[in-house]
Parts: sequence; structure tokens; C-alpha cells
Amino acid sequence: MTTADQMRIVEAKLARLLGSGPELGLKGQVLAEGGLIQGWVQSRRLVVVVGVSSGQYALVIFTSQTFPVGRVEDLAIDDVIPVDKELKCEIESGDAVLVNIKSGSSTKIMLEMLPGYHTQNFVAEIYRLTDLMRQDRKVAASSPSSETWLNQLRAAKTTDEALSRDLAQRMRVGEGRDTPTLDASPIPQPRSGSGRNTALVDLDADDDSPNTSLNRQEIALGGAAPIAARESVVKYQMALKEEQFTHKQTFTVFCGTWNVNGQSPISQVKAWLAVDEDPPDIYAIGFQELDLSKEAFVFNESIKEDEWQAIVFASLHPQAKYKRVKLVRLVGMMLIVFAKSTHMEHIHEITSETVGTGIMGKLGNKGGVAVRFEFHNTSICFVNSHLAAHVSEFERRNQDYHDICARMVFQNFVPTKSIKDHDQIFWLGDLNYRITDLDTATVKELLQENNIPDLLLSDQFLQQRKQRRVFTGYKEGDITFIPTYKFDPGTDMWDTSEKARAPAWTDRILWRGDYIEQIAYRSHMELKVSDHKPVSAVFKAGVKVIDPVKYRKIYEDVMKKLDRLENEFLPQVTVENTEIIFDGKVQFLETYTKTLTVANTGQVPVQYEFIKKLNDTSICKAWLTVEPSTGFIMPGEKSDIALELHVDKTTAGPLNAGADQMYDILVLHLVGGKDIFITVSGEYQKSCFGASINALCQMTVPISELSVGALMDLEKPPCTGSAISIGGEEPYPVPKELWFLCDLITSLGLDQEQLFLQPGLRKEILAIRDWLDTGLPVDKPDVSIHSAAETLLLFLESLREPILPFTLYGRCLDVSSNYLQCKQVISQLPQNHKNVFNYMTAFLREVIRHSAQNGIDPKIMATLFAGIFLRDPPGTNFGSGLRAKTNQQLLDHRKARFVHHFLINEPDD
Amino acid sequence: MALGGGHHHASKDYDHLFKLLIIGDSGVGKSSLLVRFADNTFSGNYITTIGVDFKIRTIEVRGERVKLQIWDTAGQERFRTITSTYYRGTHGVIVVYDVTSGDSFANVKRWLHEIDQNCDVVNRILVGNKNDDPDRKVVLTEDARRFSNQMNIQLFETSAKENLNVEEMFRAITELVLKSKRSQQDQLNQPAESIRVGSRRPGQRPAKKSGCCNK
Repeated sequence: MTTADQMRIVEAKLARLLGSGPELGLKGQVLAEGGLIQGWVQSRRLVVVVGVSSGQYALVIFTSQTFPVGRVEDLAIDDVIPVDKELKCEIESGDAVLVNIKSGSSTKIMLEMLPGYHTQNFVAEIYRLTDLMRQDRKVAASSPSSETWLNQLRAAKTTDEALSRDLAQRMRVGEGRDTPTLDASPIPQPRSGSGRNTALVDLDADDDSPNTSLNRQEIALGGAAPIAARESVVKYQMALKEEQFTHKQTFTVFCGTWNVNGQSPISQVKAWLAVDEDPPDIYAIGFQELDLSKEAFVFNESIKEDEWQAIVFASLHPQAKYKRVKLVRLVGMMLIVFAKSTHMEHIHEITSETVGTGIMGKLGNKGGVAVRFEFHNTSICFVNSHLAAHVSEFERRNQDYHDICARMVFQNFVPTKSIKDHDQIFWLGDLNYRITDLDTATVKELLQENNIPDLLLSDQFLQQRKQRRVFTGYKEGDITFIPTYKFDPGTDMWDTSEKARAPAWTDRILWRGDYIEQIAYRSHMELKVSDHKPVSAVFKAGVKVIDPVKYRKIYEDVMKKLDRLENEFLPQVTVENTEIIFDGKVQFLETYTKTLTVANTGQVPVQYEFIKKLNDTSICKAWLTVEPSTGFIMPGEKSDIALELHVDKTTAGPLNAGADQMYDILVLHLVGGKDIFITVSGEYQKSCFGASINALCQMTVPISELSVGALMDLEKPPCTGSAISIGGEEPYPVPKELWFLCDLITSLGLDQEQLFLQPGLRKEILAIRDWLDTGLPVDKPDVSIHSAAETLLLFLESLREPILPFTLYGRCLDVSSNYLQCKQVISQLPQNHKNVFNYMTAFLREVIRHSAQNGIDPKIMATLFAGIFLRDPPGTNFGSGLRAKTNQQLLDHRKARFVHHFLINEPDD
Repeated sequence: MALGGGHHHASKDYDHLFKLLIIGDSGVGKSSLLVRFADNTFSGNYITTIGVDFKIRTIEVRGERVKLQIWDTAGQERFRTITSTYYRGTHGVIVVYDVTSGDSFANVKRWLHEIDQNCDVVNRILVGNKNDDPDRKVVLTEDARRFSNQMNIQLFETSAKENLNVEEMFRAITELVLKSKRSQQDQLNQPAESIRVGSRRPGQRPAKKSGCCNK
């Protein structure tokens, strides 16, 4: 999307709003993107300067759903600012460019833009247009009819506001992104209508932010960035409050200009520089034709520079001490600025530039030199220029002026600064404008009568200024002194040479900027060394002086407010309950769910995630699942997170043995914000599932009758085969639960088809669990054989240590092809495990004996029980891919072969 | 042209960014101190901190802008192991006790030990909060002073409620951190590393104790 494409879309949007045909002649002038700084945030905007054929212009600020702009429907008018002669554009530079658009002296809007072509283009266009407005009084004083389009656009602003709010809400509730057309929402809703906006704390209640208000909804939707532009916001806020921490202090500025016609310096020039009663605060003294030598012209070297400087310095007002601020010279044009030494500490960013406008627009015999600096909080620029000579060359002079304005660029600023980018400008020099239409005799006659006003009517400079051809925006004081050119050197006699030039006011001083008052404008006839007389002007200039105490206080307030805002824009959530307790007993194999409700009570969208703590490998313990473990919540909305508790065959063991507890702390992390600890706890009902063979053998009573401590004691020395029984009886050779399960299956009939292959019923499995754990009911529970079979598998899988202990796992696999060696391994098992192994294989052989009825194949049985007898040790990882799969298959095959021996052979064989 | 709000960062609005950590027994007023300092507010309602929260505040110290990211931790015993992971990258630790609770003062030793366990060298400051009611005060200033001298740690008695000494205390720890940063820079003559805002998470604890920034 090129800039031209975007401009076409903007024009289409405006044409639609205005319902206008070609007669209005609406045309986009320039378009740029910028971050609009509003109060304490900045948000993205499209800024466009548009004009109509009647010569009016306006700055239109759009919000857009997309950047760059792709469709007419995406645009909505945010603000309309007419470009009039009051409009000003100021640039401040940092990493980004701050464009401060002011009306008069108060800020209207501030935009943050990237340095570059588009920004420069945009600013240049505003300058061009405001200059145009100042020149053209006719247009500036616009007729009511020509304002219609502006009013129409302003009216559209309200409609669009409602529209974009509506749009935002639609987006929020997820009703899709269909953009309503303008016709669909013709009635602007009252601003306070929507609840969200009003419910929020208004940080800006005590603020005098201009025009635009803080749109928190936009922030919430991610359209605005509250913190990213912090530095810009600080500048903006400080600019808004400038009046609170600065006060106008009046300083005296003395400007002098003298074309010395290459004459050698005279002893002193006090008659020019020290004629006033009070010493000025600042001197800006300009010379032209300081040095007419070839060296000065070709090499820009001059011995006269030092000579004149010394004389000037010696001639400054004797009642004050001065220091040189800067000296700049281009051939014969020299400008020296002095300030009272006490002011030096308040003068900063001093720099100078020169522009030659001689032949080829280069040579320095004509042109200008300038010095600029910041005095307290006011930027000041002094320009000394020497424009083209000869009566008829006024066009050339105008051109020189414009060239100086365009080419006098202070390079060490980003973006660069021009003359016009200063609060106060003082322009002095030999501007070389003459008296026209009058012959020399008439001029001298009028001067004889001291009729200066009539003579001024023929002053080329005033004429050109009246036509707004040159120095627009500048002011000049009334001339009450006689022309300063051309005299016979050493006398007060008008030129008596052959050329007999008519007298003229060639030497002038002008100013531009606020708070400047001229209190003197005069020539100094006493100095006769040149064919020009020196001219001086004295100004009272109001300079913004920073009160450091107030500044500090306001700056700190701004920082505090931004900090507060930054804190407020941190993600915030409320969790109703940070202690999730699963009340009642938590039982093996059952699933319990609790909901954790997380409400976004902050101002920004929240992205949350549960994170691992310490050296944990997962966000929570294995018996707990958190779903979802990451998510996104919009402001004002809630999210339910399910905490699911489920103890299975792998997690039951540690819980039984006291190696794990049903207690966990989850860390709910808000991305870019705080962490909340969620405590989850429950009480686990111990079960024979997950106990060790050793412990089970010693339990002669149901597990539920044991104390927690007793169970933990039993589990402590794993598989030592120690013969302490609980319940006062001898330990059992195999766990009674195993015997009960096998007995249950046998009693239900081993002839059952699909035995061990068809799954059981969950409810019945849980009933069997309770029967085994509690010993109740006394009789066998009424369940199907499939449920009993599945329970047996589950029981064996849940054993803390498999029947063939992990230590023998590798050995078993190694010898799996050799029955004898397999038997040898079995003989090495701990007694309990050996008992269980023999008991189980005997049971399975019994089952296989019924294969004619139940159709069970020993190979299938071997495969089924292989993984139960020979459990893969914890941490076994086959990885992924084809190779891993092949390895797994190979292992499974060996396990099955190991088990198979014992299913088809009686132990005595 | 790619340009606009939030897509690029304007120049850095601070000269230093420091992470401070507030620790101490549950209920001594850690959160209150933070809220007083960051938002200049106080609420009498006691809400236990269940987790770890932070706020920022930018202050000027000797003409330099220091952005403080201050972490407030849960004081409850059961969270002790988790909160210890948050010591990573900390420039300064504020150990708080309650002048009306002898137990909380007695536990300061444990908290200092906690710092030693998790940080190599770090700036510390001792704060006796709730110093606004002489009748209820049980930890005498002279006892606290003796202890703090012995531990070579600066002591501040504050009241978040009455806004007494809070600003001063935070400034003092900031100055300490700034001073040690300077002396390190002088020693190493290389730029100090900076921390990133809001991107922290309690990850793996480093194998050796090298948690805090002042290594």
C-alpha cells in the first residue's frame, strides 16, 4: 500500500462524508503516520493535510483499524484542525521526532513520528501552508460558506466516535469484525453511555489535556501503547505545563548592523554600541564588507576579523561584563554575539551556520551568517545577511532571502533546525533594498525637508514586504532615521561620486516571535569611516526562565503519574480462592475437579501461564492436571481453569508410602506481571493399589484399618522380606488381595470367552477396590468377570515395584530365549516376589487350560502380561521415530518370550 | 511506511534500572511499604500477599533517573522455598520486621540467612515497620540498632500508615545499590549489565549460589 494509495482511500472517505462532487475540489496534500500523544498514552493515527479549491486547508486526524490503511471503512475521523495563520508546527528531536502542533502558543496536538522523508514532508507542508495563510489575508478571513466543509468534517467526527466505540465493543465480545457502514450507525450515542469507560478511574480528571481524551478502551484492545512512548509523554506533559514552571523574564537585546565597506578598524565604536543608559543582556553585532580583500574572498581568511572583534569587545557597554557567545564569519559577513557573563550558564546548544548566495549560489560575498542558542527555555536565532546589490535587483534580493531561509540549516540537531524553528528571531544586515521611482534629486529634496514618511513610501523593502514577497511574519519598527547609505566616507555628505547613488535604507533590523518589544531603532551618524552608517535596535525580549524548584516538582509529579499509570497498566487478575482444598477422601482411580476462576481486574489484556517452580520438571505434581495451563483474558472478563485430581497406578505408590503428599503449590504467572501461588491439597485414601508386595504380604487386615504411620513403616524398607506382620498373624506368602482377585475370577468361571481381553465396567472396578481395601462386603461383590479381570491387571500394574524388580529387568531380557536361564533368574527373586510370580503363572496356566472354552492363546496371554511382569523402569525413553518403534517392538517381543516360557511349562519340567 | 504507536521505543527514560526485593515475616507490612512508596496510598485492610508482585517507581538520585522495580513477596512460611527463587537478579533486599512483634524481629536472622543462601553479595537494609504507636512498640530502637550494627546493615524505622521514613528508606537502599554499582564499574571499568523489566520468571536455581546481580 503506497502513500498514494492511502491518500486515495482518504480522499474517498472524505468525499463520502461530505457527499461532495468535484466542485469542492477536495484534495489530499500530504499524509503521514504518527503516534498521537493523548494525556498519558500514545496511539497510532493517520494524519492528513487536505485542501479545497477555495484555498482552505485542514489537518485531519484519522483512527484506522489497520496500518497502512487498506479500506475506506477502516477510517474514522478523530480530529479536524483548520490550517490557519495561528497554526504552528514545532519539532523536537530525540530518538523519535516529536511534532508539536500549536495554535497560537498553546499545544493542540503532539505527534511522535519517525525521522525520515515522510515526517519532513509533512512538517514542510504545514509550514508552507501556514506561511501561505499569513500572506493571504483574503482566505484567512474566510467566509461562512467556505467553512461548511470543515463543519461537516467536524460533525463526522462525532459520528465516527460512536462508530469506533461500537466497533470496539463488537470486537471485544467477539461478534466478528464486520465493519458497519456509516449508514448503519447514524445516531451518536452519549459519551458516558457505555459502562466500561466510566467505570475506570480517570487519571486525567485534574488535567488540562487539550482536545483529545484518554481512550482506555483503545488501550485495553491493544490499540494504544501506554508505556512505550514514555519519554515522549514526559516531553508532552512538560510542554503542557511549561507555564507552570517558567516565568517570563525580560532581557535587553541589542542588535547592530554595519556595512564597513572594507575600511580599516577605527579605535572604538562606543557611539554605536554603548549609547544607552543600561547595559544590554545580549549583543548581536553584524558586519558586512568587513574585508574586501582577495584573501577574504578566496580563502575566507581575514586579519580584520580579530581587529574588529577586539574593537567591538572594547566598545561594549562599560557597566557590564560580557563574554563572547559565538563568532561566525563568511567572507565579509561577520556576526558576533556577546552575553553578560552571568548569563553564560543559561545559554546552551550554541551553534552557527553560513549560507553563501553569491555567484552559483555559493560564493560568500553575499548571503547570510547565523548564530542560534537556547537562552533559558527560549530558542533564539540571530541572522546577519548581505543581500544582492543594485537598485533593480530587488527580485534577486528576495531570492537571496528565501535561499538563506531554505539553506540555513543547523545540522547538529536531529531533525535539523532552520531559522524558523526558533521562538525568537532577530534578522539584521545590509538588505540592500533601495528607493525606487524617485530620482536622486527628489530623494535628497525630501530628505532636506526631513520628510521621511513620504520617502518611505518609495522604499523597495517596505513595498516588497507589503506584497508579502519577503520577510513574511517578521516585524520592523518605524524608521525615524535618515537613510544610512550612501555617504562619502568620513563625512555626513550624500554620495558625491560619479555614480551619485540615491540615498537608501539598506541597513535594517527585523524580528519575529512572541514577547518582543522594540524600544529603539536608530542610526549612528557619528561613525563616518564607511559609506554606510551603523544601525542598531534595542529590544525587550520576554524569555521563558525555568524555575528549578517548580520544574523539579512538576517533573517529579509527571514521573510519579507515569509510574502510577505504568503500575496501573501492569496485568492484574483476581483469583477468588488461592487455596483449593479437595474435601472428602480422594480415592484411587477417581477423578475430582475444582474450578479456579481468574478474573482480569486490570486494564490490559492478560496472558497467563502456570510455570514450573524450583527444580520441578512440570508445572504441578503428576496426580494433578491444570487445563488450560496457559491462556488469555480480556479486561473485565473471567476465565475458568479446571484443576483435575486423579490418582492412578503411577502416582498411587508414592502417596501410599508417604513419599509424596497430596499438597502442591502452583505458580500462576502473568506475562509481564506478578505471580500468584495457588495451593492445592486433599486427603488421599490409602489403597492396596500402589502398595508394595512386601507391605501387602504383611497386612493381614484390610488396608483401611491401618494407620497412616503403620503403612509408612511397612513401606519403609522396600522388599527386604522382613517378617513383621501387622494384624498379629504370620505374613501371607502372597498378598491376600491377589488371592481374592484370582479367586473371584475363578468363581465367575474361567470358561468365559474374551477373558482378559474385554474391558470391565468402571463402577464395578471401583466396587472391587473398596472390597479389597475395606474387606466389605464380606461376600464377594456382584461384578462381571471382565471387571474382575481388569482389576487384577490394574492391581499388578500399580504395585510399587513390579513382580520382576527393576534390578533384574535387563537380565530377564538378556536370557529371554533360554527357559533354563529364565528359571534361574526367578530363583533369585525375593521370596515374596517369587511367590507372587509363581502364583500368577500358575493361575494363568489354569486359565489357559480352559482355552478350548475361553479361546485364550498362550502367546496373547504372554504378550498381555509381559508388560505387567516386566515393567519398563522409570525414565525409560525410546525416543521417537521408526528406530525407536523398532526397539520398543524388539523389547516387547523379548518380554513376551520370557513370560511365555512359564505359561507353557510347568515349573517342575 | 512502518511507523506509529507502540512499534518502537522512544529513548530510554532512565539511567539505571534496579530490582529490589522486600522480604520478612507475614503481616509485617511489606506490601504496605511498597504501595506507600509506589502509589502513595495506604489501606488499613490487610490482604495477605499470596505470590510475588511488583511495582515500579522512578526516582532521581543525584541527577540520575533510577527506575526501581520493587518485588513484594509472600511472607508465609509455606511459600519460603518458592519465594527464594525470586532472589535472582536482585540488586537490593529490604528485610522488614514489625516493631510491635518480637517474633518478626527474632526471625530477621532467618531472613538474612535466606539472603546469604540465595545471593552472593547484595545490598541489604533492615526496616522496622509500624513504628507509629509507641504504646505497642516492643522491639526497642536500641536493640534493633545494636543488632543492625552487629550485622553491619543500615536500620530504618518506618510507618507505611503514617508515611514516616518510607521515602528515605527506599532512597537509602537505592543509594547503596548505586554506590556498589559505581564501585564495581570503577573496578571492572566495564558497563554494568542491565535487567529486563517484567520478563523474569523463577527458573532453575543456579547450581552455585550466584543469584544476585552483585557478583
